[in-house]
Order: sequence, then C-alpha cells, then structure tokens
Amino acid sequence: MFTETFVAALLLGAVTAGIPLLLAGLGEQISEKAGVLNIGLEGMMLAGAYAGFAVAYHADSFALGFLAGGAAGLAAAMLMVLCCVIGGMNQIVVGIAITLGAEGLTALEHHFAFSRSYPRLPKAETLPVPGLSELPVVGRAFFDHPPLVYLAVLLTFVMVWIYRRTHIGLNLQAAGDRPAALDAAGVGVRTTRALAVLSTGFLAGVGGAYLSAVGGGLFLPFMTGGDGFIAIVLAMLARGRPTWVLLGAFLFGISLSLTTALQVAGVNVPTDVIQMLPFAMVIVVLVLFGRNSRLPPALGLPYRRGVR
Amino acid sequence: MTGRALRRALLASVVGVVMASAGAAGAQDVTSLAIMVPEQGTDYGWNQQGVEAARIVAELYGLDFLPAEGLGYGDVRPTLRELAEEGASLIIAHAAGYNTAAPEIAQETGVPVATVDRPDNIVPGLVADYTLHGHEGAFLAGHMAALMTRTGTVGIVVSGEPPSWNSQSASFAEGVRHANPDVNIIYAVIGPAAYADAAGGRRVTESVIAAGADIVFGQGNGSSFGMIEAVETTPATDGGKVWFIDVIGDKSALDRGHLLSSVLWNMVPVYSAMIEDLRNGAFGTRGYAIGLADDSVQLLRTPHIPDDVWAAVMQVREQIVSGEITVRLVTDAREVRALMTTVEDGGD
Repeated sequence: MFTETFVAALLLGAVTAGIPLLLAGLGEQISEKAGVLNIGLEGMMLAGAYAGFAVAYHADSFALGFLAGGAAGLAAAMLMVLCCVIGGMNQIVVGIAITLGAEGLTALEHHFAFSRSYPRLPKAETLPVPGLSELPVVGRAFFDHPPLVYLAVLLTFVMVWIYRRTHIGLNLQAAGDRPAALDAAGVGVRTTRALAVLSTGFLAGVGGAYLSAVGGGLFLPFMTGGDGFIAIVLAMLARGRPTWVLLGAFLFGISLSLTTALQVAGVNVPTDVIQMLPFAMVIVVLVLFGRNSRLPPALGLPYRRGVR
Repeated sequence: MTGRALRRALLASVVGVVMASAGAAGAQDVTSLAIMVPEQGTDYGWNQQGVEAARIVAELYGLDFLPAEGLGYGDVRPTLRELAEEGASLIIAHAAGYNTAAPEIAQETGVPVATVDRPDNIVPGLVADYTLHGHEGAFLAGHMAALMTRTGTVGIVVSGEPPSWNSQSASFAEGVRHANPDVNIIYAVIGPAAYADAAGGRRVTESVIAAGADIVFGQGNGSSFGMIEAVETTPATDGGKVWFIDVIGDKSALDRGHLLSSVLWNMVPVYSAMIEDLRNGAFGTRGYAIGLADDSVQLLRTPHIPDDVWAAVMQVREQIVSGEITVRLVTDAREVRALMTTVEDGGD
C-alpha cells in the first residue's frame, strides 16, 4: 500500500495544502506586528480564490491568476484600512464583515459566471529543481512545484531578514508595540499600519488564488473552509517568527495527508478521530509552545495621536 | 340496547367525531413550497436535484415556489423565519446541517418543515424527515466498478459521513464484493463536513489514485468537482485512465471523458408524497424512500460503459427489484469502515 508513488502523493498533498496557509499566515503576521488583528483574512483569501481562478481561467495564465488573486485580497484589505486604520472602527467587527461580504459576493459571482459550466483548470506547470527533483519520494514531493511554492518559502526567509535587519521591520514592530513612540520618531503610524494591512491582503489573496487554481483547479463558494482562521492561529502561535509560520503550515498540511494515509491504510479508528488530527496538533502546539505568546501590546487598538 | 351499551355507542360516536375533527385539523391547505439549499441549485448534484424536484412538484400541484439557494452551512434560522413570513406552506430544509434549526423554527412559527437525516426527530403535522438512500444504485455501481477495474483496486472518497452517504459507501463495497471479492477497496473521508472543499477533494482523491485505485466512487457535493479534477489530471498507477462514478446528479454535460456513471436520485416522488401527506393530515408520521423499483434511483449509462458490463449490471438490477438480491441498508459510519476492512481482508 505505502508505495513510493503513494507516499510522494501524500507529501505533495501536504505541500499543496500548506502553501495557502503559509502565504496567509505570513501576511497575518505582518498585520499583527503592526497592531492590526486581521480577522478578515478568510474573506481576503476567498476574494483572492475567486479572482485568481477567474483570471487564470480566462487569461489561461496561472501567473496572472496569482496576481489577480493578490489584487482582490488587496482590495478587500483596503476596506480594513479605511474602516479600522483610518476610521478607528472595531477590527474584529470589520474583519467579520469582510469575511461575510466576501463569502456572499464570491458566491454570487460564481453563480452568474461559473455555476452552470464549472470550468476546471489544467494541472499547473511545475518548475523541477535540477538534480533534487529526481530524488526518490521527496524529489517529486518537495522539488517539483509551481514557481509560487518556491517563492512562498523564499518569502519566509525574506520576512525574517526584514523583521531583523531593516527599518521596515522596526517600524512594523513599533506600530504594534509603541505606536506613540513611532509617531514621535516621525514615522506615520497609520501609514505603516495601512501598508501592513495591504501587504496582508495581497499575500492572503495570492494564497487563496493558489488554493483555487492549483489546489482545487476550480473555484467553489466557501471553498477556503476556515483556512483564513487557521492562518490567524498560525501567525499568533509563531510569535512574530516567519519560520514558525512555515513550520506550522506544513505541520498542518502533513497532518491532513496523515489523515488520508491512516484511512487508506485501513486503521480501524473512527474517521472523526482521524479527522481531528490536524486541529488537535495545532491545539497541542498552542498549549505547549503558545503559552508564552507575546502579542503586540497595541494589537487591535486604533491609533489616535495624543490619545492614550 | 342496554343502558351500558348505549353509553358505549355514544362514547364511540363522540370519539369518532373528535378523531375525525382532529384529522381534519391536521390536514393543511398547501399553497406554496419553499426549499433551502446550502449551495446554488446548479451543482449537478444534491442541491440541483433538490431544487429541480421541488420546482417540478410546485408546478405539478400549482403551488408558489420559494427557493432559497446558496445559504451555506451556518445559522439559517433567519432564512427559515423569512420563508415562514412569506407564507410557505412547507419548508424543505435540504441539508443535514439544517436539521437542528429547522425543527426549532417549525415549533416557533407553526410552519411544517422537512429535514434530512433525522428520522428520529419527526413531529406529526410539523416535522417530517426524508433520509434518502441510493444504496441499491450504489450496489450496481460497485458491481460495475469491480467488472471494469484494471488495477484491482477501487476507491471511495466522501466529504462527510451522513447516513445517506454511508449507505451508498457500504452498498458500493458490497456491490464490488458481489462481483469480485478479490478487488481491494480504499475508503477515505476528506474532512468533517468538507462539502465545499474542492482542494481537499482533489488532494485526497490523488492520494487514493496513487494508492492504486483506477475507479473512484465520489460523494462530495461541491467537493466532487475537486475529485473530478483529480481523476482528469492524475493517471492511474498502471498509466491508464481513472474513471469517476458520481452520485445524485448527472454531470455528463461537464464530462471530459472520465465520468463512468452516476447513481441518480429523483426526489419528485418524495416531495409529492410530502404534499399529499400535508393535505391528508399525515405529514410527519412516516419516512420517505427512493429505490430502483420505481426508477427514483437509477444508474446513469454513459458511452464509456461497455455493453456487456451494462447488461450484467442490469441483470443485477432485476435481481434486486425482484427481491432475489437484498441490498443491506448500512448507515453507521463504523459499520461502513468495518465493511471496507472486510472487503480488503477478502482481497488479501
């Protein structure tokens, strides 16, 4: 049963399931660092999923689809910027509204555009890594993916560098920790937070586009199925460390694949128990490593100059 | 007639009049039919079959038709109240996820509802249940899969384990075993209520194919499209084509050469019976069924099915209809899994 082909398929599935979480989780981390709790991540992913699929289908280009997904996520994030960063409204309420709005809007768009034809995309072109992609089992699983996968992993380490080595990273940190100090230093808190939220929207949108165009090969209403909320949890667990988002996303993906492996192997435990595995793993990690989670003191609080 | 006999006769008359009155009070004037579905009624599956059947029944009985589509799987109480306020005579809550909210609102508004997969929850005059089982059709599908598999392994992928799907999974496995006990059966659930999880459907189906399946029996609502994407883009382990057997609806119009068949459900007889029961005051006193005998369950014939295989399958159909073969109704998920193990053990 556990042939090379089967194990490779499981690992491949883990990577494919993990990439949307990685992108959205990295995005959420940027917002949270800057003091904005982006509960609308699910909606941004969904908007990206719809736009990404629609453009990839009509333009016959996955790359354009990913860009369109990012743009749709960015548009949804603009609402967050207007309402929360500029308007000072409750971030949780606006985030929920964005998610519900995106669910309704994308379902409506899907109804008119695709619900009678259910078009499906071909398998995405991959970029095999020379030498490594020929390795048994892991070659196909880890080194034969669409270019976006490598970019997402690379982005993780770019974010590490940005947070540790650049003024942008410091500004983001200050916007979430001591926004008044950042303001006093002459850096616009709202501008910093707005850019952070827009970056989040773009990455969540690209993650959604990957989910629909590569993961599913089609768009369905509500297809994100809570991935946005899982990405929020991953970002919180990661305590500001991008590499932890990477590990968390793939841990979740591997757990999903493990559920399939256990079932296919005929393990005689209730499916419900098996299906709990990914979520249980996240909870265990949360309990073991998240107790000392350090969230920015100003997270979720609107910033107004001179107001304590 | 003695005094005692007279009193008995009078009492019997009074009871008879009261019962007749009660029956008349239970009978309801039906003017409009509402149906609520979680996804759009254009999914070539559960939602579409439900909406189309309700539309046909509304036309047949001259009723106003109130469809509410794409409601998702969240709290549908506001929609139920809205449909009740719009004057629905009967609300069909066409999703297992609605069978908590719908009876609550029925009690609150007095508008009868029909729920799915809760046969233990019926209330005379108010709450009926239609737990439909296409298990006889699934048995035929399993029989056909066993006759056509090249790799000797077939897969079952589901996006949840409601009773109606469990029964089809079990019967598919028994149909496989009936035709060829040496065929292995792989069973995989995408996730808890993963009905719209197209990516999950694709991921799990690709794994099942990689494990050797060349025919996949998929039950998934929206996630079925992810399964279809997987069979279209993933070759079987022998390098050949992977076939897909669908349930409930007919996706022939979307086929790219991998749709082998489908266990078709026709819900018109069910909804018609509900209307009749409402009018007769018998609503909420019985369950509703579909089956091969009246063609409310059928196996879709596609050009991909060889004539000899189809003939063999139709022969089995006749045996089921005549009672020569009895297809067990298995609805419990544990029994379904045990059956898969049994089938796998049989193949070892």
